[in-house]
This record gives sequence, C-alpha cells and structure tokens, in this order.
Amino acid sequence: MTSPLTLDFVMETMKGSGTAEQVRSNRIRITTTPKRVRDAITTSRELLACERLITISAADNGRTLELIYHLTGPHRTVISIAAELPRDAPEIPTVSDILPPAGIYERQIHDLFGIVFAGHPDLKRIILGEDWPEHEYPLRKDWKPGPDTFYGGIREERI
Amino acid sequence: MPEVIVPIGPQHPALKEPVNFRVIADGEKIVRLELDISYTHRGIEKAAEQRTFIRALPLLERVCGICSHSHSTAFAKGVEELMQLTIPPRAQYIRTIIGELERMHSHLLWLGVAAHEIGFNTLFMWTWRDREAVQDTLEEMSGNRVHYGMNEVGGVRRDLTPSQVNAALQRLPNLEERITKYVDMVQNQETMLLRFRGIGKLTKEEVLKYGAVGPTARASGVDYDIRMDDPYLVYADVPWNVVTDTSGDVYGRTRVRIGELAESLKIVRSCLEHLPEGPIRVNPPKTAPKGEILSRYEAPRGELVHFIRTNGTDRVERVDIRTPTLANWTSVAACLVNQNLADIPVIVAAIDPCLSCTSRITIVDKGDGNTGIVTWDELRRRSRLRDRRQEGA
Repeated sequence: MTSPLTLDFVMETMKGSGTAEQVRSNRIRITTTPKRVRDAITTSRELLACERLITISAADNGRTLELIYHLTGPHRTVISIAAELPRDAPEIPTVSDILPPAGIYERQIHDLFGIVFAGHPDLKRIILGEDWPEHEYPLRKDWKPGPDTFYGGIREERI
Repeated sequence: MPEVIVPIGPQHPALKEPVNFRVIADGEKIVRLELDISYTHRGIEKAAEQRTFIRALPLLERVCGICSHSHSTAFAKGVEELMQLTIPPRAQYIRTIIGELERMHSHLLWLGVAAHEIGFNTLFMWTWRDREAVQDTLEEMSGNRVHYGMNEVGGVRRDLTPSQVNAALQRLPNLEERITKYVDMVQNQETMLLRFRGIGKLTKEEVLKYGAVGPTARASGVDYDIRMDDPYLVYADVPWNVVTDTSGDVYGRTRVRIGELAESLKIVRSCLEHLPEGPIRVNPPKTAPKGEILSRYEAPRGELVHFIRTNGTDRVERVDIRTPTLANWTSVAACLVNQNLADIPVIVAAIDPCLSCTSRITIVDKGDGNTGIVTWDELRRRSRLRDRRQEGA
C-alpha cells in the first residue's frame, strides 16, 4: 500500500481530461465528456497507477445517461471518472480492450440501459433473459412494462 | 479433434442458484468459456428505487442468502454517510460481529462445498458441523440463521445481552481448535493436495488484469482488502491481518479462506470482549439530501460495491450493486483456459460463486453432429477417475 493520492496531484496529472474534485477522503471524482473517457482512463492507468477497475456505475439523469468508471490502485484512492451521454444516442467507445474486467460490466449496462459500447467484441445479452424483448431497457426511468408484452417465464396459452 | 461446445447448467441439484456455461472444449481441454447469468435477475435495483429507505433495506438484504448482512451493511452505511449520521459505537461493534460471523459461516460452507466437489465428503461433514456452531450463535443473536435483519438505517435493530455474548465467547475455543486442524489438513492431506495444487492458477499479473477480488485475488498475492484499504465499522480499531498467499491456485484460495477464518474469529472475540456500552441506534431523518456515494464492503467473496445516489426524497434515485462474483467471472473464464474439463467443478467452486452450475451436460460433437447427455454424476465420476490416475502416478 502506498500513500493516498492528493487532489492537487490528480488535478495536475489529469489536466485536459476534465475537472477533479475531492468528494470525501479516499475518493476523487473527475467529470469529463464521453469522447475523453478513454484518454482519461489511459492516463489514470499510466500516471496514477490505477490498475484495478472496481466497477462501472450507470444512472439515468433524465435528459442524459451517466456512466461512472471507478478505478483504484496501490494508493487505494478511488478515482471516479464520470461522463454524461445524450439519451437519444447513447454511444461511447468500449474500454474492454484496455481493462478486460470492463467487458462484463459493459454488457450488463448495455442490457439494462441500452448504452452502446462501440468496439466491444461481444456485446451480447447477459443479465436479462433470452425472452426479454429488444429495445426495452428496464433501468431507464421512463420504462414501464407493457401490459401485453411478454417478458419471459411461461406463456399463458388461452383456448 | 474438433472443438465441442459443452453447455453446463443452468440447474443442478448440488450447488445453489442457476448459471449457464458454454464451455468450448478441444478434447478434454477447455478452449473458452461463455456464460449466461440471467436466470436469477429479479430487478431488485429497480424495485429499490420505488421504496423508502426503511423498506429498501430488507429488500437489498435479500440480494443474497449467504452474505445478506454484507448487502444491508453496504447500503445502510452508504445512506448514513449521505445523511451525515454518526452511528453509536455499540451498533458498529454489533454490525462487525455479525459481519465476521457471516464470513466464518460462508468460508466454512465453502470449504465443505470444495471438499464435496473433489469427493472428500468426510471434510464436507466436518466443516458443516462446525458451521452449525456459528449458525447457532447468529440465531441466538438475531433470531435467524440467514437474513439476520440486524441492520437499519441509523444502527442495529437488536441489542446483545450479556448471556448472548457469553454463549458466543464459549463457542470460540472449540472453533479455534477446529480451524487449526483445517490449517494442518490443507497442507498435509493427500487428496486435497492432489486436487487443489496447480489447479485454476492465476498469477498476480493476471489477477490485476482480470480484476479478480476477495480470496481469489489474495491467493495470488494481491493484498486488496476493503477492511484495510477503506476502513469502515470498527476494522481500524481491532487487531487483525490481511491474509494472502503466493501460490495462486485452488490450494492458495483454500489457505486464504482458512486463514481468514482464524482472523475473523480473532475479530469476533475482540469485539465481544470490548463491546462498548450505549445506545444501538439513532433516529435517522426521513429524507437524504442530494448526493452520491460509492459504498464499499469486503464481503466473504470479495469487494462488494453499492453505488448509491439520493435526490432529497425518502428513497434512492439509483442503487447500482456490483457483487464480488460478477467481478470474478472474468478471471474464471481466463483461468479455465487449457485446464481439464473434469476440473470445472472445483475451479468454479474456488471463487465461491454466488450462483451455480450443472444438472446435466449435453455434449455436441461438431465432427459427426452427435448429441449426447452427460449427467452431473458422470462428470463427477470422470473427476474421480482422474484422481485415481493421479494417485497411481
């Protein structure tokens, strides 16, 4: 374990990637744009020794969908890189090639929020069942189950 | 020999919870693993958004039957931090005691399952008997063997009486003796050495690359443990050590879990002996201000993360749960490559998946198009045959 990262050091290193703020001890949040996410992650891997991806969180902000990549390293400080995507065309380049664990999280987010990770080698369904209809993303705030839509389980056969 | 696809799962009677693997094999060697974990998706994250904090907590406790306390603690401590509540020390100690007892019962359960997977059922019976002492303690304290229902936002719901504390302390020496026995067994018992050593190996670099967590990572010398990295509850105040190993195989993961059993017992004893007096909860406000937090918790299987976002109302805007098993799948897929088909049960069991395995196996031979079914028993029989071959060698 090495000593925790300071906000000044992170701000200096991540200059050009976005704005950094210390949200609490041990946590630094960097707000950036979808286009700069890959660069921000590469920089934090190379210069901040962030060797581990904890998870990718996704949330629906109404007009936008937000992705937050949480990374950590031997300094044990969590660097959260956040980017907002337009709701009507949510697409972002994949990071599964630079961080293999991202692959499974991206598939999950694609299932539940409909965010497309461009360049993902195998963006197949993983969390929702095979009967789940296409283009229905249950964790979006405006999603409501259709009364006549079949979502899985046993089909009711009526005579 | 052409590559064949071996679908395993989703149901099988020995392990709990369904998961489907498509193992692409070349002869007996595994080439690739694809998985489908959709079978138990219950929409809990969505359901939690519709409920107040008071009602969401018991729901989140039911994400998992084994590490239920992990989920409720991760959620409660996240929401409490957003509400800027200070939790009384006695409540923190009680949460820690339940959390560590939960780790002990989970690791003992795992040791039994791993023993069962290699056909060593005597050890399975022993560990599950010893686990009953832990379960009895949990039942005395909380009224339940699983889903303890101890947590609420603001503290814990039940206090510990002096007689409960004494009863728990009295069970510890015997458990300690048993754990010492298991430490000795894993290093010297022939069957365990044969089936665990060199199986499912992950180097330190691979663990970091594939993002494995918990005992799976620590067995390869990666000393990430949230209790030490980002201390919560009372872990900063009680004496304990992070257990690591350097061998990186199933043997190492077994040694780490047994080592953690001993450490958990030390924490439980220390907390029971130094349980502070005082209230066990504070009254939380009804609503939480707008904010977001990444609440981390070291569950028995590794780092558990609840990403919580609140919006000034009495319910969460979003709760995003990343369970340790999800983080470990990538490494399982990696370490199965080039292993023997017969080692699937023990390698998969070695991450202690909070999901499960097989009821039957359909083997499709791509070469001649034949389809056949292999039962779980058949797979186990092959696994035993392999044992005998190794013993003979």
